[in-house]
Amino acid sequence: MNFEEKLKSGKMVITSEIGPPKGTNIMPHIKEAEGIKDKVDAFNVTDLQSSVMHLGSLATSRLLAERGLEPVFQITCRDRNRLALQSDLLSASVLGIRNVLVITGDHTVLGDHPQAKPVFDLDSVSLLKVASGLMKGKDMVGNELDGIPEFFLGAVVNPGYEPQELQIMKMEQKIEAGARFFQTQAVYDLTSFESFMKRVLPFGAPVLGGIVLLKSAGMAKFMNKNVAGVNIPDKYINMMAAADKKDRPKVSISIAAELIKGMKTLCSGIHIMSLGWEKYIPDVLEASGF
Amino acid sequence: MLITKVKEREKIIAALRNKNIFVFKCFGCKEVYFPEEEIDSLLEEAGVKNRVARVDYLCREEFAEKYYKKYENILKDAEAVIVFSCGVGIQVLAKILPDIPVIPACDTHYINGFQGLTAQDADCQQCGECWLNITGGICPITSCSKGLLNGPCGGAKEGKCEVDKNMDCGWVLISERLKLLKEEGALHKKSTNIRDYRLIIEGGKRSEE
Amino acid sequence: MEKKTVIDYTKYRIKPEQEIRDILFGMDSVVLLWCKKCFSEFTEEAIDECKRVIEIAEELNIKVIECKGIDFLCNNYHTERALKSVPDKGCIGVISCGIGIQYVSGFFNGQVKILALADSIPQSGNATSVEGYHGIALGVEKCAACGQCYLEKTGGICPVVDCAKSLLNGPCGGADKDGKCEVNRELPCAWIEIYKRLKRQGRAIGEKVDINDYNVFPVGEKGEYSKANQEKRRVGFYGGVYPLEKKEETDTIPIKVFPAPDKLTVFLSQHIGTPAVPLVKKGDLVKKGEKIGEAEGFFSSTIHSPISGKVIAIEDRTHPVSQTPQKSVIIENDGLEILDSSVEPLTDWQGLSKEDLLKRISEKGIIGLGGAMCPSSVKLNPPKSVDTLVVNGCESEPYFNADNRLMTEMPDSIMKGIEIVKKVLGVTDIIFAIEDNKSEALESVETAAKKYQGIRVEALKTKYPQGAERMLIKKTTGREVPEAGLPFDVGIVVFNVGTLYAIYRAVYEGMPLIERVVTVAGENAISAGNFIVKVGTPFSDILKHCFGINEVQPKYELRMGGPMMGFLQKDIDSAVIKGTGGILMLQKPPVDISEENICIRCGRCVDVCPMELLPYYYVYYGQKKLWNEMSEYRVNSCIECGCCQYVCSSKIDIVSLVKKGKKSVNNKS
Repeated sequence: MNFEEKLKSGKMVITSEIGPPKGTNIMPHIKEAEGIKDKVDAFNVTDLQSSVMHLGSLATSRLLAERGLEPVFQITCRDRNRLALQSDLLSASVLGIRNVLVITGDHTVLGDHPQAKPVFDLDSVSLLKVASGLMKGKDMVGNELDGIPEFFLGAVVNPGYEPQELQIMKMEQKIEAGARFFQTQAVYDLTSFESFMKRVLPFGAPVLGGIVLLKSAGMAKFMNKNVAGVNIPDKYINMMAAADKKDRPKVSISIAAELIKGMKTLCSGIHIMSLGWEKYIPDVLEASGF
Repeated sequence: MLITKVKEREKIIAALRNKNIFVFKCFGCKEVYFPEEEIDSLLEEAGVKNRVARVDYLCREEFAEKYYKKYENILKDAEAVIVFSCGVGIQVLAKILPDIPVIPACDTHYINGFQGLTAQDADCQQCGECWLNITGGICPITSCSKGLLNGPCGGAKEGKCEVDKNMDCGWVLISERLKLLKEEGALHKKSTNIRDYRLIIEGGKRSEE
Repeated sequence: MEKKTVIDYTKYRIKPEQEIRDILFGMDSVVLLWCKKCFSEFTEEAIDECKRVIEIAEELNIKVIECKGIDFLCNNYHTERALKSVPDKGCIGVISCGIGIQYVSGFFNGQVKILALADSIPQSGNATSVEGYHGIALGVEKCAACGQCYLEKTGGICPVVDCAKSLLNGPCGGADKDGKCEVNRELPCAWIEIYKRLKRQGRAIGEKVDINDYNVFPVGEKGEYSKANQEKRRVGFYGGVYPLEKKEETDTIPIKVFPAPDKLTVFLSQHIGTPAVPLVKKGDLVKKGEKIGEAEGFFSSTIHSPISGKVIAIEDRTHPVSQTPQKSVIIENDGLEILDSSVEPLTDWQGLSKEDLLKRISEKGIIGLGGAMCPSSVKLNPPKSVDTLVVNGCESEPYFNADNRLMTEMPDSIMKGIEIVKKVLGVTDIIFAIEDNKSEALESVETAAKKYQGIRVEALKTKYPQGAERMLIKKTTGREVPEAGLPFDVGIVVFNVGTLYAIYRAVYEGMPLIERVVTVAGENAISAGNFIVKVGTPFSDILKHCFGINEVQPKYELRMGGPMMGFLQKDIDSAVIKGTGGILMLQKPPVDISEENICIRCGRCVDVCPMELLPYYYVYYGQKKLWNEMSEYRVNSCIECGCCQYVCSSKIDIVSLVKKGKKSVNNKS
């Protein structure tokens, strides 16, 4: 079963993330992924995450696919105009990549090349629409394609974002434009996540709840301050603050497990953004009862 | 100050035929491509006679406020306001009338070189880092359709741009000017020009290097 | 006056100091040109930054030969003249936005090294539209001119300009908890604002996916618009405006006789110069064409009774031009139209000497009917020799068709008038100028002119104020009337077609100027048209006959003359004078914004002034009552055509300030 089939089967799906390096030293990341491939159903490959220049997500996705791991190719609208975006989608297809996660992308000024020209020719919604069009054999101006790609399109949604209504509205638009699954921003508040899921359940699109492993109380506070839609409750911050440095992974794992257990009944799967703590993923899953 | 073109005629007429609408037509820039007669004929075709305010410089908030006060009573019951103006005027009016849908009847286009006076051949895109010292006083951003800073793309044919055959290749013009100035060496420079878009995004703050 | 703040949209700032040092390094000398800025507050002196450049130059031992401030450096027409006095050797440092620098570079085209000493100031902060234009009047809203307005769907908040990513389909999700943009935490997320606005209106964010089309307006086409715009502004003469012509209401209506009123109000001042002295008193019986007012001195004109009847009063009435009480003769019409014995036809006028003709014309009270109201006897007796007569058939005021119909219906009489003037002045060349929007008149004049020698008919591109003497002379002969000079200084006399017709009637029929063709038009007219109206006909009669009303309705205003140069009438008991070309009923401006607004230096007045003046200085100096300065900026050259006021983005009553200025300047001298 591939990622799509697994989601359709109703099985709880687990995905994780790979951030390609700034440089060519990709193999350690691939090895790490291979180490947990039995626990994880698919791997997201980030596309110049945070607008910082990195190795490309397309090449990395291909390296995973070659090794029998299932990639989710992330593509942002920041760096390419509509020609390049369509072309890269076709490239992904011929490289054996089916899963595509479409994101608008962070603004260039937030990354390490603030002088760069931001493109934003398309946005996530329009790119989803364009990708759907490619699957129907047409490029966005209606020209016939010689060879038609097939994708399993995904998008992101931020449940904690205010006003939530706006996210839901955009989620609907994304579904309309062709998104077949969603990944969420990190979830720390199960009550509000539950109410969000109740709202979006009728849409019928599977949702993978987002998990970010907390590394410290400082990180939690930083995220609360700077990351849109993230609200880490004080109890978790206090737990992290109270833990010794060596005990922090253990505490973090227990928090993640608590959240995952809570989410299991609410959504179709879990997306773990480990941010360098890939090695703890098996522990997290074990603690969550997988 | 911009070129204003009426949107799709049929759609506007259909919108104008709704009963509870009010129309603002701004003729502030009356001398700069404002389709005044076209608008009047449109209103006539739609049979709109009353509930039309002919105004000047809607973009000027203090004027717009006064227009609003004048028509306050009618506007209270209006279901929508249809506005013939540039994008600035529409936004100003929408701000004053937050409870009523404001429907733009025009699209706004940019006119070259319009910096306060008659449109000019030469244009400035306000990049915030003037390149004219190295290009003989011809702007590579506005005279090259790709805005290239390091020489021509190679697509020009007989000195004409590949994007529009009526347009001179900016880099051909620049090289001719540099020859006259005996500065053609500038074209063989080793450094690479790269634009800093931060200047635009941050609204023109330029730090001292 | 309350001090209003002006949002500063200055387009340039000087480059960083080190860069200026690098640019200037190695130069011996430099000429500095700086633009006096647009869209910012008024500055008279060299800007501080400019002074800093001079300091740097001095530090580097570079001689600053000249530092010249130029108003609107990008206005190539004005700047060209200023640049002629700049030495075309060495190098020129330009402090301006990119347009000004490019213009100067282009002007010297490689002869001189041009140093760009300033950077433009970007106007917009967003991803997809690097441009971003404020309106002509200054506010915080900007338009990216994307050419596909989305404001309908977004509650009037622009997603292209206000969203840092210019997203069209909802927010990116990066806004913080307070709804602030991830790019600039001080700015609200545009999509949250849009959402709130729409919610307030009970609307939802659009159902269809929007994708911007960046090729709505192809690259090359933009330049063509600019060229067309420039051409429009420069055709024939510099500046001018294109108000809606509105002539279609009466342009095909043949001239009819307006019913003679029961009572006439004949002003003794119907011309520029000294008012006439009354020759009648209350109770006197007068005949049609009888002289009732005597010219007082050289610069004056006689007045005749337009009807037969009885003088019932000599009293003050509101004068249609000055709007102040002025002496008038009130005559009760007896309806008998008894002609005065002085009205004698003359078949063989050719037999008269030049002097006798001149005498006959001045006896008949002929004045210029084009609006200037100058006694024709003055024009026909120029102190210098003239060689060309320019016949003014332009009639560039909107709505007006009086001259148009006269040319269409009576071209031969006008030609006869021309023959008379030709003999009196001894001119050889005659240019008959008509604007190209009057095709019928043009055709009939061309046909009539074939029968005469030396009459060249010229169709001019329609533009206001084409009919102004200076514009017309420049356009038709290429000659430029000097400042404070008159047409005869360049060997030319200009006559309006109506005046020539009046001269024809005075000479052939012996009929003094007691009636004229007047266009009556405007809102809610029941009988608009072109009428032969007797001088002295009260406006109230015209209201009744042409509009079916007894008084001006609240939403409207009555004007004598056109919308550009006409006079607002507050008193309908005032009456038609010889200079009345039209009576118009116009809609009042919806809102009175006549209170003093601050000039924002948009430069539009400079762009349209046909006299090539800088009208915004009259605003600045006029409001401060600095008359000497106004005089330095040539206020006396202003022809009060109203173009500047017509386009003023601050709606400043510039013409009134000019009138005040002229009065004060002339009183002093």
